[in-house]
Amino acid sequence: MVFNSLTFAVFFACVLAVHNLPLAWTTKKINLLIASYLFYAAWNPPFVILLWISTVVDWWAAKGLVRAERPAARRAWMLLSVVANLGMLGFFKYGQFLLDNFSVLLRAVGVDYHPPHYGIVLPVGISFYTFATMSYTLDVYLRRALPAQHFLDYALFVTFFPHLVAGPIMRPTELVPQFAQERRATADQLCFGLALMTLGLFQKVVLADGFLGPIAERVYDQEAIPGALDAWAATLAFGGQIFCDFAGYSTTAIGAAMCLGFAMPDNFRCPYAAVGFSDFWRRWHITLSAWLRDYLYIPLGGNRHGTARTYFSLMATMLLGGLWHGASWTFIAWGGLHGAYLAAERWLRARFASYRPGPLVLPALGLLTYVLIQLTWVFFRAKTFAKAAVILRGMFGLNAPNAPILPAIELIICATAIVGLVGAHWLMRAQTLESVIARAPASILASTWAALGFAIVIEQGAGNAFIYFQF
Amino acid sequence: MPSSTSNSDAPLADEVAVTRPGFVRLTASDRPGIAQPVPVRDIPARPWPRILAAALSLLLIAMGTWEWRMRALGLQAGDLDDGPSFWAEQRRRIDEGDVAIAILGDSRILFDTDLARFEKVTGVRPVQLAIAGSTALPFLEDLADAPKFKGLAIVGIADRSYFRGSGGLGAVALDRYRFESPAVRLSFLLHRALSRVLAFLDQKYRLNALVRLLDGGWRASVQLPINERLWKLGTVTDDRQTFLWARVESDTRVRAHQRAAWGRFLAPFPAATIMSTVERTRRAVAKIRARGGEVVFVRPPSAAELRPYEEQTVSRAEGWDLLLRRAAVRGVHFDDYPAMQDLVLPEYSHLSRACATVFTDAYARAIAGLTPRLTLHADAPPPLSPADCAVARPAPYALND
Repeated sequence: MVFNSLTFAVFFACVLAVHNLPLAWTTKKINLLIASYLFYAAWNPPFVILLWISTVVDWWAAKGLVRAERPAARRAWMLLSVVANLGMLGFFKYGQFLLDNFSVLLRAVGVDYHPPHYGIVLPVGISFYTFATMSYTLDVYLRRALPAQHFLDYALFVTFFPHLVAGPIMRPTELVPQFAQERRATADQLCFGLALMTLGLFQKVVLADGFLGPIAERVYDQEAIPGALDAWAATLAFGGQIFCDFAGYSTTAIGAAMCLGFAMPDNFRCPYAAVGFSDFWRRWHITLSAWLRDYLYIPLGGNRHGTARTYFSLMATMLLGGLWHGASWTFIAWGGLHGAYLAAERWLRARFASYRPGPLVLPALGLLTYVLIQLTWVFFRAKTFAKAAVILRGMFGLNAPNAPILPAIELIICATAIVGLVGAHWLMRAQTLESVIARAPASILASTWAALGFAIVIEQGAGNAFIYFQF
Repeated sequence: MPSSTSNSDAPLADEVAVTRPGFVRLTASDRPGIAQPVPVRDIPARPWPRILAAALSLLLIAMGTWEWRMRALGLQAGDLDDGPSFWAEQRRRIDEGDVAIAILGDSRILFDTDLARFEKVTGVRPVQLAIAGSTALPFLEDLADAPKFKGLAIVGIADRSYFRGSGGLGAVALDRYRFESPAVRLSFLLHRALSRVLAFLDQKYRLNALVRLLDGGWRASVQLPINERLWKLGTVTDDRQTFLWARVESDTRVRAHQRAAWGRFLAPFPAATIMSTVERTRRAVAKIRARGGEVVFVRPPSAAELRPYEEQTVSRAEGWDLLLRRAAVRGVHFDDYPAMQDLVLPEYSHLSRACATVFTDAYARAIAGLTPRLTLHADAPPPLSPADCAVARPAPYALND
């Protein structure tokens, strides 16, 4: 189920009520586990089996890793986990993509091969929970962590519903220890958790789905050729939409966990105030970029084997990061563009090591970063390279004059939302939300909270799935 | 340890020192190559229970005010939003078997059919499967593939909808029928229950829709799709009983806006598209008949102001007449029945609430004259005539009138 649905509202109220009953801690954990399976099964019950497979394989792989003494045996257990998880991911997420590309390749060498349509449904959140369970085995393999002592704690780590389908991608060391002792939210935690959920749902329901998403759809999903204004507005709107969609999900997830007494890590920190692309990736989808760094970039060699190897590792990591987002060459191009940005930045930093931007240059570099990031979203949002090319040509004023696509009110909505969003990010670029809230008068907080809640209610979201569910 | 724990190993790390006074907690991006510790989340020291109570009070006051305002605008509790889940619920009734009559089509037959009147006249309450803004063809093909359907399919046609052959909202509804997750189903049921008591729950009165209404047409020649050009048009109650919204009848400004939304010239449909539609229809009808079912077409009225646009796109001779001839089906065209003339079409395309009852009465009787699959009920009331709805009824009226 999705957070922005009436089903979730009822589900969460029930979970909260049961979690606060005077029951034994083990019973409460079992309740949470059952609730998490229900949360997942409410989308498509048979796919719970995938969760079980992922859970059981990694549990036993980690056990095997601890028992194994020879490096070859340890490597075999690790590979079992990696192959099982990536195999599952590959089958469900990349099967059609591989088949399509294989048939294109065959046609290129003169073999006319038309495979049947794959017809496999992508299980929601499979990219997230496979990465979470893999991190469990990999941490044990890399001797960074010991395996969980209790299967219940480990199973709950995998399935804990706030992070299950769209992150933040949690590591076992972040969550499993929280199950060791009874957790129950204090009144302040419960209230602040609810406030965070309201903020997250406002971002998702009102900003992403209500106001920004339709603007991007009107240009990206239609045949009409956009001019510069429409192409830029739609792309900026999508940049705002995807942030509000995904950051909204993460904030709601953090709030939901907090209401139950658990802590989840930050996943976004004002990314549109980033200066440079390494800064951006420290602020955008933090748990994924850290995962890719720890389990892909560093094992590929990181920056410890010379310049060429560093650039290779960087590019490979970002290309695979792009592929993680979707089984399409446009996502790979998106990742490749980010890899190129990071490589260029690394080169510039090495070339001008002593340079420090002044107070005027810093915002200019921030603006440049923002604009270049928006260009990458074109490949992320467009379904084909042809569409991406049309949009990019429009953004650079290369399309022939055409009838306008977006009504003026949508240009105003886009400008208001984007200026507000980017402005808020700059104001908060070196602060946490909590530090801002701690200084705000209680009356302002209550009014703002009520206003956000009211906007959610009267927007009457249609329960659209979060964009990142598809990943 | 094969992996480095050096900060310089972070590919995405900002190597420029940034002052972050408010950053009271680190993230995984600050800790490369190590097991991440349990996160610590600080709770701002504010009087949270009091803030929650105040926020809830303000929220309830705002919602109450909003509900009052929406009711003043003509929205009513009990007006259920139509949508894919509502349609899928009705479609599943076909799979349960024993559905004698199903109505397919676009908004014309949807708005112009009074299910209760149909039931009074024939003794059978049809399943309403028409969808606004959609061609009936994919639904007819879907019905042709439904093994349990052996009844009568009444297919409503607005020429400009039907003969385009594809498009519209159909795919979404059919997809929802083919797979509806338990979560989506439950959300639909909860929303419907809330809609029975809250008037403001209406897709046309969502916050973003209201803001978009502020557009003054400042960018000339922007072409919005018809569903965005139209304001709220209908009200929906149980069984997807849909009627024209009372305000369209009573409010001249609303009526004028809706009228302006329709009258646009569309290029004539290519003959190949029409022929393809006719051929697909013929195959679907044959499948239904092979199982013992029957199909009848109905062309509901449209106003004289709108008719020329429709004829320009696809004329009666090139569309309707050809369809009946080539697909070997029978049909009821409003042109041919005196009881269907001079009905009130407030916004040119859909009948007034009262005239929907008159039209339903007339077309149910007409179909009964065409096929033995539909018979008049022994206790059927006497026929209605256009005079029964000629005088505008006072507005507003209750949804379940």
